[in-house]
Amino acid sequence: MKRSLLHSTFLYVAVILVCALLVFPIYWLFITAISPPDQLRVLPPRFWPEIPRWNVFGDVMSDRPILLWLGNSALAALGSVLLSMTVSVLAGYSLSRFRVRGGQSLGLFILTAKMLPATLLVIPLFGIFRTLDLIGSLWSIVLAHATLIIPFTTWMLKGYFDTIPRELEQAAMVDGCSPLGAMVRVILPVSAPGLAATALYGFVLSWSDYAYARTFLTNAQTNWTANLGITTMKGEYISNWGDISAASILVALPVLLIYLFLERYLVGGLTAGAEK
Amino acid sequence: MAGIHIEHVTKSYGQLTVLKDFSLDIADGEFVVFVGPSGCGKSTMLKILAGLEEATSGTIRIGGRDVTDLAPGDRDIAMVFQNYALYPHLTVRKNMGFGLKMRGTDSAEIDRRVTEAAKILGVDHLLDRRPKALSGGQRQRVALGRAIVREPQAFLMDEPLSNLDAKLRVHTRAEISALHKRLGVTTIYVTHDQIEAMTMADRIVIMRDGIIQQIANPDTMFRKPANLFVAGFIGSPGMNFFKATVAPGQGSAMVRLFGQNVPLQAPTGLSGREVVVGLRPEHIVAGEGPVTFAVTPRLVESLGSEKYIYVDVPPENRVEVAHTGGDDRRADTIIARLINPEERAGSGPLTLSFDPARLHLFDAQTHIAI
Ligand SMILES: Nc1ncnc2c1ncn2[C@@H]1O[C@H](COP(=O)(O)OP(=O)(O)OP(=O)(O)O)[C@@H](O)[C@H]1O
Ligand SMILES: [Mg+2]
Repeated sequence: MKRSLLHSTFLYVAVILVCALLVFPIYWLFITAISPPDQLRVLPPRFWPEIPRWNVFGDVMSDRPILLWLGNSALAALGSVLLSMTVSVLAGYSLSRFRVRGGQSLGLFILTAKMLPATLLVIPLFGIFRTLDLIGSLWSIVLAHATLIIPFTTWMLKGYFDTIPRELEQAAMVDGCSPLGAMVRVILPVSAPGLAATALYGFVLSWSDYAYARTFLTNAQTNWTANLGITTMKGEYISNWGDISAASILVALPVLLIYLFLERYLVGGLTAGAEK
Repeated sequence: MAGIHIEHVTKSYGQLTVLKDFSLDIADGEFVVFVGPSGCGKSTMLKILAGLEEATSGTIRIGGRDVTDLAPGDRDIAMVFQNYALYPHLTVRKNMGFGLKMRGTDSAEIDRRVTEAAKILGVDHLLDRRPKALSGGQRQRVALGRAIVREPQAFLMDEPLSNLDAKLRVHTRAEISALHKRLGVTTIYVTHDQIEAMTMADRIVIMRDGIIQQIANPDTMFRKPANLFVAGFIGSPGMNFFKATVAPGQGSAMVRLFGQNVPLQAPTGLSGREVVVGLRPEHIVAGEGPVTFAVTPRLVESLGSEKYIYVDVPPENRVEVAHTGGDDRRADTIIARLINPEERAGSGPLTLSFDPARLHLFDAQTHIAI
């Protein structure tokens, strides 16, 4: 009894420590947002402002086109996820199911593409998009993000499809489906958790991008994404950290909400491969 | 319903040939069991019949129609898989109705047929559950149900009972037989369990390494095995084998077993031939008989109603051919299976006997029955 009490106390302390470590930056972002500017650099630091500036969120939204930026981010993220999922569902399924000559090395090649740092691709992509006249258009980052997302999601989905017994689509084919029909009617619904987890990964990747947006969109103010927009709030001489923090919170909020909403499926999706 | 004709089917995966010139005619309404050791090509043949694998060469006809190049869905067959392969995202009702829906049957008709099939199989109270909320036995029934609602030309079943526990397996075995009697649909059933094969089949096809060894009804299979492999495969415990050389005797040929001359019902022309002599464990009885020999059992296993007596074989009668029935018995032991034995049988020296008419003879080189 005593030992198990000690044990659980230890466990709780550990969990609280880890949580504190993870949550503190978010908490600090929030405090920075609602503190008056002159209280940001006081020593010792204050963990709660005397007079919280609750109206900072409203102010920053009326000062800057944050909703437009969020809309652009959402469009880019949804577009690149849609494109990536279409490609990687088909590619992942094929890699999982069909024995193609060189399929193995093709899979490895895709994995290698995933290991290249995004910044390495910025310059070639810039060249391509300039030729296609896409610089400044949201399409540029939809395509650019897709090149980052597809290798990973293809691999992830292949792994997920591998865990689904082949007999399922064989049964569907005996029941009268074409191979594609079996995939659409049986394999995809069964893979819903995996698809959700994969799509969310892509969404977050696109949502949190800065490098590509900075390179391709800087000269097109109406197409700025949220991350790009926020960095323009940082002035050369004065930066209003309170406003920047408030805007950052507004940008983080949608992803947070999606996570909360999808959590149930995600946990299923992330552990589904563990037990056959 | 329809007959199935398999003509000269072969199947290779690259260098590996898993089916060699497989030909078989199955009559309308027949229940045929494919049996054989693991890896002999049973599932592969079934998948070729279903259209899930392509034959390297050969022709398949179902009901007189050449289906060799048709897609699985166009062959009008239903398949039951070893792991059931129920659609996890659909209810039992939708699982069973899926095939009909794919064929554009109207929903009232689907509902009627699903309900009827569910009643036959006793799963009508489970129709709105998902597969994961079913027991193994219930899943198995739903898988059968999914096959029968389609009212196909033929059923293909790939070891449908192997995931059930022993008791349920016996029960379901009887149910599938009853279902076959009731529906009369041509059925091909794959198993590696010879008891399933013996109890259910109209005809058994025994396979080994992709080659058909014998096609016969269960009785013939047991009484007149075509070769050593079939002899060892059918029967439990498997047939005992002895090495011997045929010698001329008075009036008939004979072999020496247990140091005795045993007359054979075989032509004297066999003289000098090396043979393998087979004798089923249940054909050895306690007490005196036409050929009597005294033994001291190496081991006695009692199952209550019967006893297995393990007996040493004299060195000159030991065979090198591997036992083929799946149980790796030692070449220096045979088993006598005594039905309803005396309680004391086997506790000391024992007199056993057999009737030479029960002996099977196989060529020692070709392993084919003589
Ligand atoms: N896709 C494949 N590629 C290469 N070889 C294969 C393939 N599928 C099956 N085989 C081989 O074909 C042979 C026959 O396999 P099959 O599944 O038909 O055996 P089986 O008789 O059903 O055995 P079991 O009783 O274990 O199910 C095996 O040696 C197997 O390794
Ligand atoms: Mg098999």
